Amino acid sequence: MENIETKLREEAKRLLLEKKVDVIIGYEKGTLPLTATPCFVTTPEEADNLVWNHLCTQNPVKFVHDLITQHKNAQKRVKPEDRKKKVIGVVARGCATRSLIIQLQERQYERADVYIIGVPCEGYVDGKALKSAIGGVDITEGSIDGDQIKMKTSDGDKAVALKDVLAASCRTCRFNNPIISDTMVGSPAAAMNPDAEYNEVKEFEGKTVEERWAYYSKEMEKCIRCNACRQACPSCYCPTCFAEQSQPQWVGIGEDKTDTQVFQLMRLYHMVGRCVDCGSCVAVCPMGVDLRKFLKKIDKDGWELFGNRAGSSMDDMPPLGKYDEHHDKEDFVFNP
Amino acid sequence: MEKRLIKKEALAGIAKKMAEEFLVWAPVKKEDNVLFEPLQKDGEPYLAYLNSKNAPKNVFFPHTETLMKYTRTEKGMAFSSEENKAAESVLFGVRPCDAHSFALLDMLFDQDKYKDAYYIAKRLNTTVISMACVKPPYASCFCTSVDGEPVSSEGADVLLTDIGSDYLVEFITAKGEKLTRYFGDTKADAAADTRKEEIAAKAKEAIQSKIPAHEVKPILDVNFDNPFWNTIHSKCLACGTCTYMCPTCHCFDISDEVKGADGVRIRSWDSCMFPLFTKETSGHNPRTSQKERWRQRAMHKFKYYVDNFNAIACVGCGRCVMSCPVNIDIRKIVEDISKL
Repeated sequence: MENIETKLREEAKRLLLEKKVDVIIGYEKGTLPLTATPCFVTTPEEADNLVWNHLCTQNPVKFVHDLITQHKNAQKRVKPEDRKKKVIGVVARGCATRSLIIQLQERQYERADVYIIGVPCEGYVDGKALKSAIGGVDITEGSIDGDQIKMKTSDGDKAVALKDVLAASCRTCRFNNPIISDTMVGSPAAAMNPDAEYNEVKEFEGKTVEERWAYYSKEMEKCIRCNACRQACPSCYCPTCFAEQSQPQWVGIGEDKTDTQVFQLMRLYHMVGRCVDCGSCVAVCPMGVDLRKFLKKIDKDGWELFGNRAGSSMDDMPPLGKYDEHHDKEDFVFNP
Repeated sequence: MEKRLIKKEALAGIAKKMAEEFLVWAPVKKEDNVLFEPLQKDGEPYLAYLNSKNAPKNVFFPHTETLMKYTRTEKGMAFSSEENKAAESVLFGVRPCDAHSFALLDMLFDQDKYKDAYYIAKRLNTTVISMACVKPPYASCFCTSVDGEPVSSEGADVLLTDIGSDYLVEFITAKGEKLTRYFGDTKADAAADTRKEEIAAKAKEAIQSKIPAHEVKPILDVNFDNPFWNTIHSKCLACGTCTYMCPTCHCFDISDEVKGADGVRIRSWDSCMFPLFTKETSGHNPRTSQKERWRQRAMHKFKYYVDNFNAIACVGCGRCVMSCPVNIDIRKIVEDISKL
């Protein structure tokens, strides 16, 4: 990892010096122990802040969309001949490149608007799982030493195995190496365990409808409607979310149980063929709502019914984005 | 002031005994979260906690509450004001930082100019029992920088301090004294007081994280347009986690929910981090980006509240620091402002 970090910083400096990019979205060390946080590097000096390790959690592609949209809007006020191009560099692992593919397939921007610095990934630490593994005590210092996480806590020194606290999305990740990139830093990472990808979903599918609904209701009761899941999601880029429309008002803004259930259900359905299982929504949720169980079910259906894995290739359009009446396998749609 | 001593193991039983007679809000462990919830008949308060996941402000200022109801009739609108329900209740085992937040919220919801009937009714009928922080705090706790202390009775009616084998029970207010019957009859001696003072001094020292919260007010007064405000917001997701977790954030929205002829007017939490928060009917939004929203949050806590009430609207619980998905750390922001 150290080696990748050094190479990453060198590459970032080069890209900024050669003016290939205007900004690089990556990760820097956080203010809390064992955290990394998104950062925006605009000068070669700042490139030394970049880190790449098991603590880099969030999908940075959410910010790619934000920055490009902001730039486009700002350019609207500039005379056409004075308009400037802005290239957004992004440090992207497998899932992040899948999100880039989704946004590109959905024609949010041009391929040339982004410069993808691909990085291999062996998973990130699920902060809540880590906390749970040490009995909820406060971590005052911590470091990752090989396959161990070593910590000083309010309850003495502790250590846990890295593999035991990796995010669920990462453990069974199928695409932990970048799918598209402009430059690669480091050599490809070893495969994770994709064969177990749908184990949890299969188990969930085996339950009765009552049990499944009870689980959904229980999880949604934790939700406080802070919108962190939606805000962290690279596929949630609507200028105005349905949850905030008032004419008609699709869902209430309060804490009503059904409003929360409906909000999350509608968000889930908007993720068909668009969720790349980056796990960001789960990582940012302050209340620990298990959104992934339902998103993974949608992912499984996409694969089994349409042979599509969201963002797995530029040519494979999302199932809901490529309807072709002449080659549809069901004839009833146009020939009743 | 009445002071008693109770055996440590008796505490959970006291909470449960109270719960038989009235509503008791207590820390309850739910999966990995500790939350303040009404203690159920067979429920167990979770007293071995550092602090709860969410602030207990929802006891007085619920996420959603109904203000009034109305029905469209042939003769016009028929209004009915919602009964301002506030049963006698106890908020059991809040941390001193959270009790401090109630004192701060009182300044706003119960002031000369405006009186918030909904908040006040709940506040008057609720007795706050604080539990002093004597264990090592979170590394992100900074109450001592914002006029708080780990062993403090501010905002509390009863203060419990773990002094070893016993809890020292101090009945701070007349409201608190009404609960003496639940706490046995062992009077506290002078030795218990001395022990408490020692523990309080040690607990105060244990708060390592410090911020120059008072120093930034004059700086904020003259730096509304400082380019510094361009530097903190870029990674902000514009979610409401910090404000919803915060014990002192109190902004709300009022909206009508109508089904057929019936409508309810509800008040629900809102957040200055949401773009929609300041969006006007015309479509114009005076706070155009997350920069302005973040400036508002910092200004409100460390300048505007000081202007209005001579108090910092932050109790140093560190919930926003721990819960922010992108690690925007208010401690660093205040530190950076102090250097402007």
